[in-house]
Amino acid sequence: MDENVPFDEMYASDGSVREPYRVLKQWIEEQPERALTLMQSDAEGLFRKLGITFAVYGSDEGNEKLIPFDVIPRIISAAEWRRLSKGIEQRVRALNAFLYDIYHRQEIIKAGRVPEKLIVNNAAFCPQMMGLNPAKNVYAHIIGVDIVRVGPDEFYVLEDNLRTPSGVSYMLEDREAMMQLAPDLFQRSRVAPVETYPENLRRTLQSVAPDGSGSNPNIAVLTPGIYNSAYFEHSFLADQMGAHLCEGPDLFVEGGKVYMRTTTGPERVDVIYRRIDDEYIDPLTFNPDSLLGVPGLFNAYRAGNVTLVNAPGTGIADDKAVYTYVPAIIEFYLGEKAILNNVPTYNCTDEDQRAWVLENIGDLVVKEVHGSGGYGMLVGPTSTKAQQAEFKKKIEARPDNYIVQPTLALSTCPTYVQSGIAPRHVDLRPYVLVGDEVRITPGGLTRVALKKGSLVVNSSQGGGTKDTWVLED
Amino acid sequence: MRLTIHHELTVTPPEDAGSLVLQLLLTPANHGNQRVESWRVEMPGIGHAARFADAHGNTVHLVNLRPEGRLRISASGRVVTTDTNGIVAPSETEPVPTLYLRTTALTRVPVTLYGKFRNMKHDRIALLHALMERVSETYAEPGRQQQSQDADLQSQGQSQSQSQSQTQNSEEGAEPIPAEIIAPSAEQMAHAFIGAARALDIPARYVTGYLCGIDGHEGLHAWAEAYEPTLGWIGFDPELQLCPTDRHVRLAAGLDAADVRPVRAVPVAGEPETVSVEVSIA
Repeated sequence: MDENVPFDEMYASDGSVREPYRVLKQWIEEQPERALTLMQSDAEGLFRKLGITFAVYGSDEGNEKLIPFDVIPRIISAAEWRRLSKGIEQRVRALNAFLYDIYHRQEIIKAGRVPEKLIVNNAAFCPQMMGLNPAKNVYAHIIGVDIVRVGPDEFYVLEDNLRTPSGVSYMLEDREAMMQLAPDLFQRSRVAPVETYPENLRRTLQSVAPDGSGSNPNIAVLTPGIYNSAYFEHSFLADQMGAHLCEGPDLFVEGGKVYMRTTTGPERVDVIYRRIDDEYIDPLTFNPDSLLGVPGLFNAYRAGNVTLVNAPGTGIADDKAVYTYVPAIIEFYLGEKAILNNVPTYNCTDEDQRAWVLENIGDLVVKEVHGSGGYGMLVGPTSTKAQQAEFKKKIEARPDNYIVQPTLALSTCPTYVQSGIAPRHVDLRPYVLVGDEVRITPGGLTRVALKKGSLVVNSSQGGGTKDTWVLED
Repeated sequence: MRLTIHHELTVTPPEDAGSLVLQLLLTPANHGNQRVESWRVEMPGIGHAARFADAHGNTVHLVNLRPEGRLRISASGRVVTTDTNGIVAPSETEPVPTLYLRTTALTRVPVTLYGKFRNMKHDRIALLHALMERVSETYAEPGRQQQSQDADLQSQGQSQSQSQSQTQNSEEGAEPIPAEIIAPSAEQMAHAFIGAARALDIPARYVTGYLCGIDGHEGLHAWAEAYEPTLGWIGFDPELQLCPTDRHVRLAAGLDAADVRPVRAVPVAGEPETVSVEVSIA
C-alpha cells in the first residue's frame, strides 16, 4: 500500500474515471447546478420522516441524532465483489468452525495454533457454551465484517463483528432513499438488490430452528427496549420480517420451552434474534441483576428447545486479541490461505514491540481490546502531542488492554460536502447471514468520514453513510 | 459402599415472589467409582420440569412454579461407591480439562498462597498434596485445630439436622443428611485450592456432593478436583485434608460454587414487585 496517496475509488492515478464509476460520473455532469444540494436536503427530509436516528452515548447534544447520508453512492464492480464475498464467506465459515471447536474439544489449542490462555481466560469466552450443539453447528448467524480498501485489489478486514452487529437498517434505508432521490440513475445501472435482506434474514433464522419446530418456525426479535441506541433497527427488522418484537418480560420459560405472552394465550417461540448482550439474556445463568433477560432462557437453549441468534459466546471469535490469529484459524479449519488480509497488529505485551510502538505512536492506530464504536482509540497522524502522551501512559500501564495497528490509507470516494464534491475516506460493512447456507447481501453499509482527512468513520464520531452499489455483470 | 441418601431443602421465598424459575443441581451421575442405583428429586412442579445437561455435564432440572409459602425439595436415592484414592474416572459428557484453567471472581487467590510451589511443577501429585495442606492450614478457623474438632462438628451437624431437616433411615443404615447448605469453610477452601492450582497452570474444578459420615461430617459438602495428565481428575478435600473416599458422593462439578449451586431461583420477569428475591435454603 502507498502510505501517502490514498486509493481513490472513482479516479485512477492518471486521472481517468474507473470503469465502475463511469455512469455515475456522467450522471453527475448532467445534473443542473444545485441539483445535488437540493437532493441532499431532500434526503434529510426523507430520513427525518423515516425516523432513522441513533443515540450517541455520552453526548450532550440531546439523545437522538440523524445519521448523515451522502447522496453520492459508492460503487463496487461485479468482479471486485466476487472476490470480496468469497473472502468474507471463507472467513465466516472458518470462524464458525473455530467457535464449534473452542466450545467442544479445542483441537486448535491442542495443536498449539492458538494459545490456551488467550481463549479460556478471555472475558469473551463463555464457559456455559461448552458442549452445546447449536442447530446446524452455526454460532454466528448474523455478521457485519468491517472491511477497508487500500488499493485496486487490496482489502483488509478490520473487525469481524460476530456479536450483534448493527447498522443493517441504514443499508436498507439508504437504498430506499437513493431510489427515491435518483430513480434515473438506477435505470442506467444494473445494481444488485439489497431489499432481499429481511427475507433472507427470516429464511436464515427459520433454517436454524430446533428440530421439531414445524414448517413455519416462530421468530421473535428480543430487544433491550426503546432506550437502546439501535431500537429503531430492532423494530424495523421485526416489522420487515413479520416477526414479533419482544422485550424480556414478554417472554417466559415453562417446562424448558420458551413462550411469548399474547392476548390469545402463550405462543411457543422457536428462534430468538436477540439484540441483548450475552450477559443480560438470562438472570438465572448470567448476570443475576439483569432485568432485560428471560429467566431460564439459556437453559431452554441448552435443552435444545429454542435457538439463540447469535449464540452466546461468539465474542471469543471477534475478540481483538484473537483477531491476529484469524489467518491461522482459516488455515487450520479450511486448509486454505486467507483471501482477505488481516491488518498487521502489534502486541504491546511484547517488550520489543511495545518499545517500537511507543516510539512511533504518531503513525499508528491504538485501540482498546474491548472497545467499540471508535471510543477509546487514538489515530496517530491526526492526534495531538498531548493525546499521544496520554496513550503512551495508558499502554505502559496496561499493555494487554491495547492493540496497535499501522494507519491504513483508507480508500476515498467522491462525497458531497459544503465545498462541492470531494474525496472522503470510507469503509465497508457487508452483512452476512449464516444458516442452511451463507447469504451475503451485495454491498453493505458504507461509512464515510465527512471531515476532510479524517479516518474515523463511526457515526458516533461524525461519520455518515452512503448507499453501496454492487454492479451486476 | 452402598449409601442411602435422603436430603431435604427448604426454600423460603418472600410472600410477594410470584412465579419462580428454579434450577436444581441435585442429581448425581454415574462414574467409574460411583454408581447411582436409584435417585429421585421431588418438589411441586417437578413433573413438568425440563431436564438437561449443563456445560460441565451435570444434570439440571428447571422447574417453574408459583410457591405458596415454604417450598420443600427432597433428593434421595441409593449410590454405590468405591474408594479410588480420589481418582475420578473420566466421563464422556465433561468438557476438556483446559476449560478449568479459567480464572473466576470466586477463585482469585494471593500469590503468597501458591508461589512457593512453583518449583514443584515437575511432580504434580506431590504439589497438589502440599497445596491441600497449605490451603487447609491457611484457611482453617483459628483455634479449631487444637480443639476436639470432630466432636464439635458432630454436635453442630446434629443440632442442624434436628431443627432444619427431616431425615429418614432405611434398613441399610441410611446416612442421614443434614439439610444445611455447604459450609462456608468448605467452599472457601475449595476455591482457594482451585485458584492456586490454576495459577500454577493445573486445571482444577469445584465439586459439590454429599459427605456420608466421616468422623461425624455429614451433609452437602464441597471439595476440589485437579487434573493430572496420566491419572485424570483427582479429588482433594482441603477441609478434611484428604482425598475423597467412598463416603464422598459426587453431585456436580463446575468452575466455582456459582456454577453448581444446588438450588437457584429467580422470579419470572413481568411479575409485579419481583425485582429481587432472597432464597434461603434451610
